[in-house]
Amino acid sequence: MELETQPKSPGTGGGRRSFLWKRFKKQKVLHLFVGLGMIYLLIFAYTPMFGILMAFKDYSISGGIKGIFTSDWVGLRYFDEFVHDYQFGKLVRNTLVLSLLKVLFAFPAPILLAIMLNEVKHMAFKRFVQTISYLPHFISWVVVVGVSYAFLSADVGVVNKALMAMGFTDEPLAFLTSPNYFWGLAVGSAVWKEMGWWTIIFLAAISGISPSLYEAAEIDGAGRLARIRYITLPGMKGTIVVVLVLTIGSILGGGLVGSNFEQAYLLGNSINNPTSEIVQTYAFRVGLSDGRFSYAAAIDLIQSVISVALIFSSNYIAKRVSGSSLF
Amino acid sequence: MLKSQRQKDFVFDSVIYVVLFIIMLTMLYPFYYVLIASFNKGSDSLLGGVYLWPRNFTLENYRVFMDDPKWVKAFLVSVLRTVSGTLLGLLLTSIVAYGLSHRDLLFSKVYFTVIVFAMYFSGGLIPYYVVLRSLGLLNSFAVYIIPSMLSTFFLLIAISFFREIPAELKESAHIDGAGELTIFFRIILPVSTPVLATMALFMGVGQWNSWLDSAYFVQSEELRTLAFRMMEVINKSNSPMDSLAVANSASAGVTSFSLQVTSMVVSIVPIICVYPFLQKYFVSGIMLGSVKG
Repeated sequence: MELETQPKSPGTGGGRRSFLWKRFKKQKVLHLFVGLGMIYLLIFAYTPMFGILMAFKDYSISGGIKGIFTSDWVGLRYFDEFVHDYQFGKLVRNTLVLSLLKVLFAFPAPILLAIMLNEVKHMAFKRFVQTISYLPHFISWVVVVGVSYAFLSADVGVVNKALMAMGFTDEPLAFLTSPNYFWGLAVGSAVWKEMGWWTIIFLAAISGISPSLYEAAEIDGAGRLARIRYITLPGMKGTIVVVLVLTIGSILGGGLVGSNFEQAYLLGNSINNPTSEIVQTYAFRVGLSDGRFSYAAAIDLIQSVISVALIFSSNYIAKRVSGSSLF
Repeated sequence: MLKSQRQKDFVFDSVIYVVLFIIMLTMLYPFYYVLIASFNKGSDSLLGGVYLWPRNFTLENYRVFMDDPKWVKAFLVSVLRTVSGTLLGLLLTSIVAYGLSHRDLLFSKVYFTVIVFAMYFSGGLIPYYVVLRSLGLLNSFAVYIIPSMLSTFFLLIAISFFREIPAELKESAHIDGAGELTIFFRIILPVSTPVLATMALFMGVGQWNSWLDSAYFVQSEELRTLAFRMMEVINKSNSPMDSLAVANSASAGVTSFSLQVTSMVVSIVPIICVYPFLQKYFVSGIMLGSVKG
């Protein structure tokens, strides 16, 4: 039917155009469907992107969306102000340390768990452990913090009560209200929450490895550890690289182990603030709480520029080093 | 030689089983502990030593929880936003994905560029807030639903699923005279249960757990969600100032801690209830989006 219509199109210029038009008309319902999504993205994803302009402007909230374009330019004033903020050093250090610690501990954890699960021969046990391990992924950070409170707080925490009952310590340790414990607490709860979830992907990678490789290695006399080292790990390499690139790209936001912001905001308090305040929580406070929109937008922008740079460079390095990459 | 190998294997296996068992316990016990703490008398829990079962069994915590209109309202808001947010999100995402799943769609390159760009870049919280404010969405129930109806990530997952559906299904319906809407609702959606279930689980859990939007965009007490209320209670008891603050309820023995664990149980139980049913779907569903070769 389509072939029939093509030659019939009038020769007066734009035969191809009218053909396209016909095709478009035939697909009009589909374009309507897709158009809904495009309008949606325009409003909720692209309009905010223009809002980045306000980082360079003297924006006031009374101006609404129009104010983004009409308010006066101030150049890099807000960036300058942030760099000279007396908290700047602390914020950058806390952000980086938290992100790096998370990569260091939370990235290998699911790989190890996947390898261990793969060695389990009782399918029921394996499935049970797996099911339990990704349950915390579906629980909100609020609940995770609530659980930490129930376990670690100085007055009701189970851990402190148990430590004191067993005589390890005379007075409760201030896990939640001491700058010394915040990083460990944040990394530990992140691993607890997301380890099992990422294990799914690594287990899938392992299941793609041909069993004949293992059989051959066994005949050659390779022990269990040798098989893990020479077959399982190389077989997971592609997935490991992709997940690592993803992690590094989103490292400032918390990466694959969930939101740095939610952790720092919920686990943070006035006493552990020296280690718990990060760039994002600070931007939130000065932005939405104090109403300094332009300043907060500038801080946000610095952070996203670094994130984009990180994802592209880590992707590039991964491609060069291992041949696998995200895009 | 063979025997020592077997011994080594035994040691190896034992280590793995022990480690996995410990991991399993650390994942399970916190949930269990929260559960028993919610059934234990609040003032008694503060003494410590409740590890395995409630020492002073009571339903008082739940009674206080359910008698407090603040909690009940928050629970209802959460239920309402979860149901409506999930349904509308599923509808919009799958409609758009259906359109995009046609390989011969004109301008599809343009459409995909728009989507992928939106996936990697965003304006950040502050401009987003300004946009929501200008649209008049702040301080309304709609702010929970409308801005989160379309996620680019689920869009791509749904597209790749729809593309796997045999074209013959659509063609034969076309020949029978069915329009795109009929095909979509009567043929495509019914065969797409796995991907719909996956998306429903994630959207639903996201909606149910969400407290940030309630904190950012809503001031009205009427519209607070369960997760937000929980955050309030936890933050209050967590702050060094009033760590032993007793909830201001008439009931003796109910503390802010016992109220907190009770609200946690209320918020965890629905998730635990749906998750076994949807589990088989989401494991394959998430693979679809992540691991390709």
